[in-house]
Amino acid sequence: MSVTIKLFSALREALGESEFELDLSDVSEASAQIDVAAIKALLSQRGAEWKEALNQPNLVHALNHKVVFTDAAVSEGDELAFFPPMTGG
Amino acid sequence: MSVSLQSDAIDVAAEYAQLVGDSPGAAVATFTGYVRNHSDAHAVTELELEHYPEMARKVLENLGQSAAERFDLSNWRIVHRFGRLAVSETIVWVGAVADHRGEAISACELMMDTLKTDAPFWKREQGPAGEQWVASRDSDAERRARWQSGDVQ
Repeated sequence: MSVTIKLFSALREALGESEFELDLSDVSEASAQIDVAAIKALLSQRGAEWKEALNQPNLVHALNHKVVFTDAAVSEGDELAFFPPMTGG
Repeated sequence: MSVSLQSDAIDVAAEYAQLVGDSPGAAVATFTGYVRNHSDAHAVTELELEHYPEMARKVLENLGQSAAERFDLSNWRIVHRFGRLAVSETIVWVGAVADHRGEAISACELMMDTLKTDAPFWKREQGPAGEQWVASRDSDAERRARWQSGDVQ
């Protein structure tokens, strides 16, 4: 199982990546359901910058273009985006 | 009843004419937002707007549709820029056509208050002191919340 991860704004800049595929086959074998929190935990293992960036209190998560809480279930082929609060208009 | 995400300048006169069309409702309200030359106390010389295109389009389309249902609009339009913008350029334009002024004005206000906090755009300011991402404002979240709490009809 894999999902597309997208990063925007200050998060993209801090982590130096804007979009990548994340392979979840190891995790999906171990647990029945994967949620946004599990993906955050997995990405946080990439290093201190990732851990810090993904655990900001005001971080926004959008699953398939919809803002969700961290308990939202993630499925094969989903697009999960992380970004700071929006400042358009 | 449509959304445009564009890097080009907004042609406000053309947008207005298109919104009203041949048979206007009784009330037309619009709002135009421009790049300010300052942000709080510091000077701004240029703005860069990053966006998440697919999500921005969906959020703005849903926003226009919900404003149309809530205020019985006969037409609406949301235009939002992205990319590099100079001071005094247009960033955003919204328009609403309704039977009465209250609905048309409220619809524009709802669309603006909601898009500031819900549409995935991020402003990066450039000024004499360098570049910085614009922080979200509590006042924007408060204005957004009014539409859900029933404080405004």
